Amino acid sequence: MAVDNEPRETFEDVDWDDIDETTRSFSRKTIVTIGVYVLFAVGLLYDYVLKPSRADTIEPLGISLQALDWLYILTLLTILVGVVVPLYENGRMTRYYWQQFRKNRAAVASLLYLGVIFLIGSIGPRFLEQPTVDSSNAYQPPVFTSAPNWLPVECAGEVAGGSCHGTWAHPFGTTHEGKDILVSVIYGMEVSMQVGLIAALITITIAAIVGVSAAYFGGWIDAALMRYVDIQITFPTFFLYLMIVYLYGGSLFSMIVIFGLLGWGGIARIVRSEALQRREEEYVLAAKNAGASGYWTMRRHLLPNVSNSVITAVTLLIPGLILFEASLAFLGLGDPTVPSWGEVIASGRNDLPNAWWVSTIPGIFLFFTILAFNFVGDALRDALDPRAEGGDQ
Amino acid sequence: MATYILRRVAWAVVASLIVLTLTFLLLYFTPDTQLAQLQFQAAQAGDDPEAIGAAYESYHGYDQPIHVQYIEYMGNMLSLDWGWSETRSQPVTTAIAEAIPYSMMYAVPSILISSVLGVAIGLYSATNQYTRGDYAATFFAFFGLSIPDFWFGIVLFVLFSGILGWVPIIFDTTAATFSLENLAQFILPIVVLTLSSIASLMRYSRAEALEYVEAEFVKTAKAKGVGDWRVLTRHIFRPASVPIATILVGDLLGIILVSSYLIEVVFGIPGLGTLSFEAIRDQDTSLVMGTVLLPAFLTIVGNLAQDIAYTILDPRIDYGDS
Repeated sequence: MAVDNEPRETFEDVDWDDIDETTRSFSRKTIVTIGVYVLFAVGLLYDYVLKPSRADTIEPLGISLQALDWLYILTLLTILVGVVVPLYENGRMTRYYWQQFRKNRAAVASLLYLGVIFLIGSIGPRFLEQPTVDSSNAYQPPVFTSAPNWLPVECAGEVAGGSCHGTWAHPFGTTHEGKDILVSVIYGMEVSMQVGLIAALITITIAAIVGVSAAYFGGWIDAALMRYVDIQITFPTFFLYLMIVYLYGGSLFSMIVIFGLLGWGGIARIVRSEALQRREEEYVLAAKNAGASGYWTMRRHLLPNVSNSVITAVTLLIPGLILFEASLAFLGLGDPTVPSWGEVIASGRNDLPNAWWVSTIPGIFLFFTILAFNFVGDALRDALDPRAEGGDQ
Repeated sequence: MATYILRRVAWAVVASLIVLTLTFLLLYFTPDTQLAQLQFQAAQAGDDPEAIGAAYESYHGYDQPIHVQYIEYMGNMLSLDWGWSETRSQPVTTAIAEAIPYSMMYAVPSILISSVLGVAIGLYSATNQYTRGDYAATFFAFFGLSIPDFWFGIVLFVLFSGILGWVPIIFDTTAATFSLENLAQFILPIVVLTLSSIASLMRYSRAEALEYVEAEFVKTAKAKGVGDWRVLTRHIFRPASVPIATILVGDLLGIILVSSYLIEVVFGIPGLGTLSFEAIRDQDTSLVMGTVLLPAFLTIVGNLAQDIAYTILDPRIDYGDS
């Protein structure tokens, strides 16, 4: 019979102070995370306070960052820290989710498509000049197609049989102003991604804070927050945007911020009802019993457990936002300095019988981007949310 | 139940007042472009821009303290005096009243078609889950959900009126309401609007009906030999109809209000959407406010109707005051 030579450690022997020390000291991940955000804050501070106001942000490279770019960088950083890193750390869960997600082939293809759009939209605008007005270059047909010869001012490709053939110089053709459609579409990719992702980040942040605190604190805080949500939801978002864009003008930055600040009501409701259920679970009560503070309970127990439904809801919100931006741009209420898909569609509206490609091509990209987000959101709901099974496939 | 409905109506009134108040505040704190324009013109003509500004403000009552302006504004809005449209030289309410029939001419048929077809397809999908028909319906729903309606409208418009010449290019306001001519020019808007509104209805009815397809009482009915049609209409559709009816009012209204705005601009229908769009383009602030507030009020009323419909249609819900 084996006898333990070492004295058994009893509960009383555990050095709780030591354990407290180790858990309280920052892990490497926390330090890196905080470091990344501090770096971001320093960059922002430098851009807005220290450097001369007219100069480029990074002088030697000629890179100038606007408010929108900073917000986009912050969004991408947060996605990295909040989504990519946890997925990488919890390999087992990631593999499980991926297995669930993979069942939906359309969603996998959509994810791939969105990834490509994101990559091209992020890289392309760094290297391509914004499309410029060049009237001699107007109405070039896309490559492999042709248009009647009278339509383009100067046909860039070969002319055969009275029709002008498209060239690789303008693979998607040009608009009535001679703007290259491929370049506009690539710029539009970035715009759509910015609209979708930034507004989604703002929405998630506010909705999570409001929803979780309403559920956790209850009482008058809950009543006040939810009454406010009631009012905000009352006003149809599209018309609210329309009114505010009309009154205050629409730069892309302000449009995205408005989308984010005013569109979170529905998701806050979802978060609240989810968090209300979680609040009564044993592990939350146990945490409270063990002396967890309100912030700790919300941050560690409520938020992670509502995050699945939030992510799903937001993925289904993004296509709506992209469509709103395109619609507003189509109505001419968008940012005139940014080539967005809606604006290109509007610019080709009157030319459709002759120059079908101007409106059609960006429209196809818009359609597939929205479709892809819808597919991904639907598959995420199936993969992430075990409670929502059966009803909606 | 009566107390609940009363409370709900009271809330709708409060919500409307809050929306109006917020609109007032937005307007109050916005720099007036018209005033800036006037002052610019005055300065160019050699007049004193300050004096013009003061005259303009006193004419519109903008020199009054905020609470006086607020009471005046709310009084006007409640008594349906929504201001004067400068570009159309008529009261805002008249302009809206003239535009509404054109919006109704395609919105009403579209609502009818999409609610009947949407619920029917949804029920079919639910009872034939994972069949080819169900997949086709799902695909169709995603298509309708994702296609930008203004873009789809343009493409259809060019195809059918520009290339094929089947529908007129220019909208004819003189056509009689119930005539073939009118049908021809409204058929495309109806198709586009139906497509965008039917999708969510289909998905929703499918999900709701699925809850009852496997229910005990449906199995019992089948076991007793009740026919498929009767099971579908009496045992599945009836309990599912309550939540479906509510989405009909609330959510459908929201989709239709937004879609119709863009559809009207695309097809040149002189309805509410075009009216609002032109007002925005011409900086006609009172008309913009009127045409944007109307959908907001319709939404409030729609949500109210949705909640009341729920209480009346579903006797199981207990409001704790009976």
